[in-house]
Amino acid sequence: MIGRARLPRLEGGLPWLAAGSVALSLLMLAGLLSLLAVRGMGHFWPAPLTLVTLEDGRQLAGQAVREERLPDASGRERLYLTANRDLDGAIWTWVDLEEIAEESHPRDLVVLERTRWGTFQGRLLALEATEGRAEGEAAWTALQAHLKELAVLRAERDRLRDEVVVPLVRRLERDPRAETELERASARIHELQARIMGGRLLLESVDGRRLEQPLEQVLRAWRPNAMSPPAKMVAWGRGVWRFLAEGPRAANSAGGVWPAIFGTVLMVLLMSVVVTPFGVLAGIYLNEVAHQGRLTHLVRIAVRNLAGVPSIVYGVFGLGVFVYGIGGSLDEWFFADRLPSPTFGTGGLLWASLTLALLTLPVVIVATEEGLARVPDNQREGALALGATRVEMLTRVVLPMTAPAMLTGVILAVARAAGEVAPLMLVGVAKLAPQVPVDGEFPFIHLERKFMHLGYHIYDVAFHGDDVQAALPLVYATALLLVLVILVLNLTAIFLRHHLRARHGALPRR
Amino acid sequence: MIDPLPPRAQPRHQWWRSLRDRLATLLITAGGIGVVVAMLAIGVFLVLEVAPLFLEAGHGVGWRELWQPRWQPGTLPGETPSYGLQPLAWGTLKAAFWALLFAVPLALGAAIHSALYMPPRLRSRLKPTLELMEAMPGVVVGFVAGLVLAPWVDRHLAGALALLIGLPAGMLLAGLAWMRLPPAWRRRFPLGWAGLWLMPWLALLVGAALWLSPWLEAMLFGGDLRGWLEVRFGLGVSSRNALIVGLAMGFAVIPGIYALAEDALSGVPSNLGEGAQALGATRWQSLWKVVLPAAAPGVLSAVMIGAGRAVGETMIVLMASGNTALMTLNPLEGMRSMAATIAIELPEAVPGGVHYRLLFLVALALFVFTFLVNTLAELVHARLRSRYRRLGGMS
Repeated sequence: MIGRARLPRLEGGLPWLAAGSVALSLLMLAGLLSLLAVRGMGHFWPAPLTLVTLEDGRQLAGQAVREERLPDASGRERLYLTANRDLDGAIWTWVDLEEIAEESHPRDLVVLERTRWGTFQGRLLALEATEGRAEGEAAWTALQAHLKELAVLRAERDRLRDEVVVPLVRRLERDPRAETELERASARIHELQARIMGGRLLLESVDGRRLEQPLEQVLRAWRPNAMSPPAKMVAWGRGVWRFLAEGPRAANSAGGVWPAIFGTVLMVLLMSVVVTPFGVLAGIYLNEVAHQGRLTHLVRIAVRNLAGVPSIVYGVFGLGVFVYGIGGSLDEWFFADRLPSPTFGTGGLLWASLTLALLTLPVVIVATEEGLARVPDNQREGALALGATRVEMLTRVVLPMTAPAMLTGVILAVARAAGEVAPLMLVGVAKLAPQVPVDGEFPFIHLERKFMHLGYHIYDVAFHGDDVQAALPLVYATALLLVLVILVLNLTAIFLRHHLRARHGALPRR
Repeated sequence: MIDPLPPRAQPRHQWWRSLRDRLATLLITAGGIGVVVAMLAIGVFLVLEVAPLFLEAGHGVGWRELWQPRWQPGTLPGETPSYGLQPLAWGTLKAAFWALLFAVPLALGAAIHSALYMPPRLRSRLKPTLELMEAMPGVVVGFVAGLVLAPWVDRHLAGALALLIGLPAGMLLAGLAWMRLPPAWRRRFPLGWAGLWLMPWLALLVGAALWLSPWLEAMLFGGDLRGWLEVRFGLGVSSRNALIVGLAMGFAVIPGIYALAEDALSGVPSNLGEGAQALGATRWQSLWKVVLPAAAPGVLSAVMIGAGRAVGETMIVLMASGNTALMTLNPLEGMRSMAATIAIELPEAVPGGVHYRLLFLVALALFVFTFLVNTLAELVHARLRSRYRRLGGMS
């Protein structure tokens, strides 16, 4: 430590630039995190709906998104999310601030989330269902009841289709009895479908255009201006839950990210199952078994440097060796009947996990080695002097002391793998995987299937969607989720390492 | 008094133990060597995949074809493919250059500040925080850069450029103001904590620069900076440009450079700096004349490792640059990097074809470059360690 100067002396401006660069780095990190947190979590908050009356008498209902200067700098304009793609052909409206005559927040404006055409914003006039017609306030209460019932029916239908019909169809070739079961199941589905169909909503946009909306296309309805803050909190919580638990809709631009979470977690788990034993073995070999000579030293440097090789290069290796090399041969040997459509000869869960395992091996090896270097030699010598063989010395004395370091390495590897996207684009990620890689069908985990990934989901939705502006909130939410997962993993690793240093003290490296 | 020896173990048991020991050692050796060989095989494999490109006749790709200023792999029908690697190499280097231009001063400044001025407790908190910054996934940084920052800078170009000048000036201004403060206040805001208490001031400056920028633009550039740049310098401006990539990738590279440089600086034996200060040097003088020269190899290796990372980073460049294979010096236009090209084109390339092998060649180039840079950095760093040992205090 360099001593503190008691007398403040003039040191010039450069120390302030140095101090400022710390501040600037922290500010950027804080800015990024708070941007993600605010925009990601704000997405689920039921935003108030403004009824804007323009000078010329036109009216529109929308959520204010942002303001800009007009191109000729004469004033400002505001962007409203007005939805109603089926009526207007677009969901955004720019309004010149000076044209706005009046703004209000009527309580009767409804927002409907629909399976087609995105959301609707406007007024609910009537609901027509089998039991009759309801208007005004009664229509709203009836709608809520209907939506609840519809949700139950839909869930039942989807469950039947996924868990009964799909497996039955696969069994059909071998098992003639499946046919009767299948007929019964599809009859039940038809019955459910018939009950789902039927209702109609009569809607009116704020500028007076009317619309008949089939009820089965409506997922949810809410009146943001009539909701109390606690009710909004509840809606926010439900929104977060749906985001985490549901699958994507409308070409990934709406809905949740459950398959992506599942795919990421499964891939990372598989990867750590591979990387842990091999990384630890290699670390032990390099540090405890191998002759400590020039060659070992070189290998150690090489391993360390492999951590700096760009991840995309690992992706290229995975594509060439795993997918086209090993996968292609596996297809020829075992799945020749399915060729030319590839089974293992295309990107998939297994190859992605293996590629990432290779990518993260250096992390685990280096962490293991550091842990081993921290164990004092007298511990080893003591164990050997008491008559232990080398393996006994390792398993009873050295490895228990190294375990937290290895755990740190694995956690860091997992954190790195969870955020890595570039290699996955080559070896098996999909923008939309119709089947989750785990299901009730033998062999339960389908290693050859493609999977969805949170990071790739961000890239895909943000860059390949039709309307980026509309998908932006969802991307923010996904990014926040990914960052949170990685932050938690890293904090755990940092905490573990801190704990480790406190226990063993900082020992010199080799 | 010595305890009597325990009874000898049964020979059978002894035999089993030694067998187990041999088997386990064999397993560890096999596993260890296997893993190491598998990892080193990456380079060998890439070379094997690329070799037919040059060895087999009929591929029609020689060095001359590769040295062309046009990369057009001919994915569209009727297009003659042109496989010049020049624009890709140019794009990669351009992105890395701007990233380093942004990251190196910031990272080194932060390292100097935290190694020299910061109280140890604060430093032990700062390091993990910047580690978290390193852990930010590339796609998130790329998304924010490409979809949030790029359009924003596009709309507030003048404000963004004002920030480039305003922030350093603001830091110096803070220093000047600090000198004028009464000593009691100075003690309350010590320089060691400046990394924290400068944050609100800088945030304020950002706000002020944005608020003032339309007015500045109107005054200096006739209200249209973009047009002024175009007319005055012939610079085209595209929204996803090298500056954005540099900023985003700099963000990703800063923590890595910082960590290594900080290690090197705080590892310099403390008697050197203390000696200089005892002779009357200020802290900054002792840093500039004594500590920094001693730590120079470590700082250099930190920058090299940062360069390796910047060259290979894929997602940020992919998302924040326009991916247009241009060859311009203009920092306000986009580029296409090698890594991004692989990520975009390899999934569509026919296995075994010319395009496919060329992309492998690009990957091989990336591999060799980063491996060499890292090895060089490692060697430089090893020299640093032996120098410290010579200088006395062992870190």
